[in-house]
Parts: sequence; structure tokens; C-alpha cells
Amino acid sequence: MITKKRNLFLYFVLFLILILSIVGHLFSGQIDISFSDYCDSIFHFDPENTNQLIAREFRIPRLSMAIIAGAGLSISGMLMQTLFNNPLAGPYVLGINSGSSLFVAFTMMTGISFFQSDFGIITSALIGALVFGFIILGFSIFVKSHISLLLIGLMLGSFTGALISVLQTFSSAQELKSFTIWTMGSLQHVQLSQLPIISIIFILGIGLSLFLIKPLNVLVLGEKSSEILGIHIKTIRIATISITAIFAGIITAFCGPIAFVGLAVPNIVRTVFKTQSHGKLIVGNILIGATFLVISDAIIQYLEQWIQLPINAFTSIIGAPLLILIVLKRLK
Amino acid sequence: MIRFNKCEIGYKSVLIRIPELNLIAGNIYALIGANGSGKSTLLNTIINKKSLLGGELFIDSKSHVTFSAKELAQKIAYVDSKFDGVEFLTVEEYISLGRTPYTDAFGRIGEKDNQAILKAIELLNLNSFKDKFTVNLSDGERQLVAIARALAQTTPIIVLDEPTAFLDYGNRIKLIHLLSKIALEEQKCIVFSSHDIDLCLDYKIQMLIVNQQNKTMELCPSDISKKEVLGIGFGIQ
Repeated sequence: MITKKRNLFLYFVLFLILILSIVGHLFSGQIDISFSDYCDSIFHFDPENTNQLIAREFRIPRLSMAIIAGAGLSISGMLMQTLFNNPLAGPYVLGINSGSSLFVAFTMMTGISFFQSDFGIITSALIGALVFGFIILGFSIFVKSHISLLLIGLMLGSFTGALISVLQTFSSAQELKSFTIWTMGSLQHVQLSQLPIISIIFILGIGLSLFLIKPLNVLVLGEKSSEILGIHIKTIRIATISITAIFAGIITAFCGPIAFVGLAVPNIVRTVFKTQSHGKLIVGNILIGATFLVISDAIIQYLEQWIQLPINAFTSIIGAPLLILIVLKRLK
Repeated sequence: MIRFNKCEIGYKSVLIRIPELNLIAGNIYALIGANGSGKSTLLNTIINKKSLLGGELFIDSKSHVTFSAKELAQKIAYVDSKFDGVEFLTVEEYISLGRTPYTDAFGRIGEKDNQAILKAIELLNLNSFKDKFTVNLSDGERQLVAIARALAQTTPIIVLDEPTAFLDYGNRIKLIHLLSKIALEEQKCIVFSSHDIDLCLDYKIQMLIVNQQNKTMELCPSDISKKEVLGIGFGIQ
């Protein structure tokens, strides 16, 4: 009972922090946009008003994307960590993002116009995420050591990095430029018109992951025990990897690779909520994941008057030391 | 409850033959045999993690391969020789996982599930540490908690793989006493593998001994002598 009250209180506090960070994000840009401009840009949009235009075309999509990407990557990290029973798992370190990058690079550099469209990029990022998801799943069945699986994931990353370099030597300056910008990772490329489709896939992903709550709760006991309790382990593996790939694929398609969020946030959530109940963990990951990326992006937005920091660089600066900390603390 | 009919158990070669054997509710059976005699394989066969090489095995007079994973989980609960605990998993959360074969698609705990969980906690006197994390318990406490999880599963059969292997002598006595009590009072059929021959003799537990010579399973009466057990199971005269 005490923990129940404690968790409700935590949800409330985290929700408040999220709201505060959203407000911070809205007012951290170079151009001051008032609250009424934001309201008007949604409800009484006037295309002649520059501030409203910036709010509608840049600020709101960027903020929405920060929320979706933070929450989505964190949930997909949590799914992978439980599936592989490995606190070091995450869509980035295990190469899911690399898969998306490789397939997007392929399609961007073929020069075929279909693949340059939104639909083309989403499809190739999703397929890339799925393919690499199943590759790592295949390895995980044979490799039981946490660190070994991490190494394989990192090697997949290096391998695809090398393939992409080879591809780049064959591509034109324009293709090279657009791909390089994409790999830096950015939340500002998303347009308002793309938000509905992203939101729908995001909500679909959350809806589907609710069906994984029960099997994941059991899966923390290990695969043998779960099977004896009547869980179909093969189905759960495939479902979990597919949902992970949906989240990671769609986010990578629009924002480029964003490192370490999916690894760091689920670990923070488990430590804060002190539970293995995945229903609570999903809510925790949405709240903390969204807050984490909104604050990160607000800082980036604020720093833009001096430097242009890619979001991927920023999350790596925070995430890489955190990964080392987790290794030191939990996997000595 | 569990009926073996011309069963051949093993991996590639046959390790144990059981021509005819009937295990009944309200009884507890200790599975005795030398290392490598196939005790774990037999237990894995009962829980359908390993298929029979020949013959048929019936649970409640229904062939056990016809059960779905969920149906089987409502018939047989399994306890490993060691449960290491899981970070941030509380004792109560762990015990409630025993309800997995009964809960809905989202794993929500209903009234009936709660009763089973509470009963298991009460039966094993776990009230004082139900909010503790499973990693913070001693080996003995964790083994009790694992049995509570199996009890919450409310199955007629409980199978345990060397449940006393990692316990000190005092905890071994307590555990065997407890299992005998549960079998009798809850009318369950309990099968556990063990090397604690002396304790099983003291508590007059029926033994299933894997015969060293002809690799058949023998159901021995509870008043068997230690000399006979050693002779049949380990070839020591």
C-alpha cells in the first residue's frame, strides 16, 4: 500500500516536471513567442503573423517530436531490456538504429524519387529496424552473456557504419549532404503535416505494448520459468522485437539516430519506481523519457545562439558515461 | 493423478524405464538416484519440457501431450532448485506471478487470484516479508517464496527439482516437513528429486528410486531400510 501511494505521488510529480519542461521548451527559442501566439497558431491561425507561423511550422512539431521520440525510444529500450534480461540493451546499442540508418542510406542514395519521399523513408527505416531486430534476436538465443550481446550489437553498428561509408563514395554531393544531416539526428525536420501519421503509429505502438505487460512481467523470471507458467516464448520474442522496431524505426526515420535514450531512461525508471510491473514501467518510461528529451532539446534550442548541437551528440554526451556507470554498478 | 504407461525417459538413449506407475493425490514422493541417472530429465518430461522417447504419460487420465501450455500450467507447478531473485521484484509480486495461467490478457489480478495469493502467503507464514525485494532474501527464504508461488498456482501437482540442494540442514528439515504437510492437507501430489536419503527415511516419505542396474523406476515402501536404498539406487552393498 505504501508503494502504491508512493508511485501515484511519483507519477504526479513527474507529470508536473514534464509540463514544466514543455513550457520551458516552448520559451527557450531564439525568437520570443508569447503564449497567446501559441494559442492563436493552433486555434485562430493567421499565416501573415511571423510568430504564429514559426510556432506552427517549427516549434510545435519539434516539441511534439521530442515528446514522442523520448517516450517511444524509452519504451522500446524497456521492451528489449526485459526480453534479453539485460540492463544494457537498447535500440541504439543493439543495432536497431543502425539497421534503420543502413536501409535509409540505401534508399536515399539510390536516387529513386519514391524512396526520397516520407513514405519511402519510413518504410525503409521500419524494414531496417525489423531486419536488424531479428538479427540481434537470433544472436540472443545463442549468446547468453550480457556483455557479448552488447558487443555484437556494437559490431553490427560498426559494420553498417562501414557499409554506409562505402555507399557514400558512390553518391552525389546532394545525396551525401541530406544523408549526413539525417545521421546527426534532429527533431526539427518534422513538419506539422507529418505529425498525425507519426502520432498514430506511436499510439498504436503503446497500445500494442499493453498486451506485452503480462508476458514481460513473467519473463523477468527467465525463459524456462515463463514457459512453464504457460507463456509462448517464441510469440513473445517476435512481438516484442516487432514493437521495438516500430518505435525505433519511425523515430529514426524522422529524427535520425538518437543514441542512448532507450538505454538510459528505462534504467532510471526501474531505479525510481523500484518495480518489475511493466504497466507501471510503461507509464514511467513515457513520463521520464519524454521529459528527458524535451529538456535536452530545450537546452539545445537555448544554445543555438552560440552553437548548433545535434541531438544525437547531446544524448551521447550524457548517455555514454551513464552506460559505463551501469556496467560498473550492476555487471562488475 | 500422474500415470506412467510403458514410459521411456532420456535424451538420446533411454535413462529410465517406467513400465507402470501411478502417483496419487495427497502423497509426496522423493525421487532418488545417482548423478546422471535421469532425475532432472524425468521431471522435465513431466512438465513437458522434454518429450518421451516411448510410452505415454497421463495427467488426470488425459495424455499430457494433449495439454496446451496454459492448461498444463493449471495442472502442474514447477519449482527450480534455486531462485536467485529478481531486482526490484517484491515477494508479493513474485507470488502473484503464479496466477499467470488464470489471469486475463493484461495480467490483472482478480478476487479469486487474490485469495489464492493470500492463502499461499498465510500457509507459508510469509506475511512479515511479503513487501521485501526477492534479491534481499536468504536462500532458505527464497526457496519458501518459490514454493508459495507454486501454491498460488493452485495446481493439483507440484514438481520440485532438488529443492533442498542449496539449503542448510535446518532448512532442509523444515522444507521436507512443510512439503509433506502441504501434500496431506491440500491433497496435492508432490514429486521432488533429492539426495537427502536420511531425511526422507526419517519422515517416512515414499521413494521413487532409479534402479542402478536395470534402469527402471521402483516405487519403494516408506519403511524401506537405508541399506536397500543404497543397494538399489547406487549399487552400494
